[in-house]
Amino acid sequence: MRIAPKLILIPLFCSTIALAQNKELLYDFYEIPQSLMVNPGVKTSQRWHAGIPVLSGLSFQGATSGVTVNDLFANDGIDFTTKVQERLLDVMGNKDDFSSTSQIEGITVGFRGKNRPDDYYSFGMYGETDIISYWPKDLAILAFEGNGGNNIGRSFDLGDLNLRGEMINVFHFGINRKVSAALTLGARAKLYSSIFQFQSIKNSGSFVTRQGQNNIYESAINADMQLQTAGVKGFYDIVDADTGTTQKDVTSLFTERVFLGGNLGFGLDFGFSYELNPQTTITGSILDLGFINNSKDVWNYTFSGSTTTEGISVFLPEDIDDVDNDLWQDLLDEIDAALPYGENESGYISWRPVKVYGSIRYDFGEGGNPVFDNCGCGVNASGGTNRDYYRNSVGGQLFMMKRPRGVQAALTGFYQRRFGRVASLKATYTVDKYSFTNIGLGANLQLGPVNFYVLADNLLSYSNIADSHYASLQFGFNIISWNDN
Amino acid sequence: MKRLCYPAFLALGLLLFVASCAEEQDFDQIDDLSVTPTLASGLFYLESDEATINSGGALSTFYFREVNFDTFNEQYVAEHLLEGTITYELENTTSKQLRIIIGFVDEAGNILDTEIFEIEADPSGVLTREVFYGPGGKSLDILTNTTSLRISANNLSDGTSVSSTQDPKVILRSGADFLFELQ
Repeated sequence: MRIAPKLILIPLFCSTIALAQNKELLYDFYEIPQSLMVNPGVKTSQRWHAGIPVLSGLSFQGATSGVTVNDLFANDGIDFTTKVQERLLDVMGNKDDFSSTSQIEGITVGFRGKNRPDDYYSFGMYGETDIISYWPKDLAILAFEGNGGNNIGRSFDLGDLNLRGEMINVFHFGINRKVSAALTLGARAKLYSSIFQFQSIKNSGSFVTRQGQNNIYESAINADMQLQTAGVKGFYDIVDADTGTTQKDVTSLFTERVFLGGNLGFGLDFGFSYELNPQTTITGSILDLGFINNSKDVWNYTFSGSTTTEGISVFLPEDIDDVDNDLWQDLLDEIDAALPYGENESGYISWRPVKVYGSIRYDFGEGGNPVFDNCGCGVNASGGTNRDYYRNSVGGQLFMMKRPRGVQAALTGFYQRRFGRVASLKATYTVDKYSFTNIGLGANLQLGPVNFYVLADNLLSYSNIADSHYASLQFGFNIISWNDN
Repeated sequence: MKRLCYPAFLALGLLLFVASCAEEQDFDQIDDLSVTPTLASGLFYLESDEATINSGGALSTFYFREVNFDTFNEQYVAEHLLEGTITYELENTTSKQLRIIIGFVDEAGNILDTEIFEIEADPSGVLTREVFYGPGGKSLDILTNTTSLRISANNLSDGTSVSSTQDPKVILRSGADFLFELQ
């Protein structure tokens, strides 16, 4: 119990190593092959590409919509308890969250169909970890302030406990088809191999202490709470057994789960790009329309029921012959019985966090050599209106993501500049719940067949990263070919 | 101009990366966190009608019970209890002068402390008493060594009179507000 108050701060630490899901710099940055992963219908001009294993795509994001690490842990001489009270408890609401996302691309390969040069196929494997925890405002206040004093009469919402996390490995295969000179469509099928998943997202109930009907105080609680886990207990049991082969056993179980040995799921991505005119393009995609069927290694915890107590109550003459001396223990037993804590192994479906992107871009500054000449890429290569001839692009992007407490949205404006085949830069300004000052910069460099990209968000916060509400970094290496040579 | 643009972008990017840093953070501060919630709860409620008081006769004890109560005696609670207040309310609408005694009893059966309430016959209003435990008040040891409460209710009047008040009763209410240091 001593550690309980610290547990509430754990999400904050987690957020320092986390990522956000929005990849506004990568989106529609079609010089980078990984842009296929955020829009399977993006324009593709290369003949083939292959990611350098494990180094082709690394992305990390961390986000907090409320307090930052620096707010609490800056070495500023202010009493820590005061900082927690003023910057955490008094300020943050139950819609503030701490989130973290990371992706590591294991394999990625893409190639253009020999018989159908309009089609670009891509497949691969990547690992993803995604964790979000909303600030459990009422529970935190209950832990720090208690139910007495000024909180008499306050109803604490047990539904404030809301968190979700998972680690998965994804096998995917996508098709990108240039339907016409103006339209490109794409779809990707995904097979999810879950390593672990947990969620506590459908909690409800309240706890209140108020003036009693008979006694000075009465406390009432009604709860319907559940923590669902899949794949967690297996790891826990290995660590708990501590047999001397723990590391080996954990590695073995992890590997098994990575390669389809755990819970499995299925999902789909769809996307398109459409040129309204030679200089204006709209795009859109929807990602991770899918689920995981959690039926193995499931362990769920439940806490539900309701009761009201005013303490030990004796009514005379009704209780005059009651000689039981354990009235207090009886009361505690009654409360326990009314609020049963349970465990079960019922399987459940966990839905993937669906993401939607949309954008409009305007290309200008025609001139110079095309970035991708001799691509052999079918219908898009025809004519002199290929948008690759434009060196500049400006536009806007919209990102939306389904989260346990509703849709999370971000709006981005961008400018992109191309420098022949060698380099392309993209600058973004993004507004979302985490930041109003998110300026990002991405660079794509092509040195012969070797492609390197790096994309970093919220650059203004780099002067003190600990004070940032949002940080994101993506980078990777690929080998790209545009012709047969 | 174009030639200048490219190096400028790169220089800006490099500058931002190089300039990225973090102010000094002191994560050991979490050890200084002080968590002191106030917990409130109803404790004991006793209600008796006048007929029950009369049934014991004049100048008699109409209720006596020793109730096991070791909540404050539990090690974790005892170690983290800082201070607190027990509030009592006594309301009497019977025709009797009454006395209620609450004794705090330790494991060996010793009475550590008593609270004695005497209330006149109706109309006597509500007798309220707040007993503070902790610095400047009664010793917390009374609570932390208490394993049971001994409650007795005595009739200090006759055993026949009946109040003209509708549904005459004596009611003892009690509640606790205690400050704990969890961290």
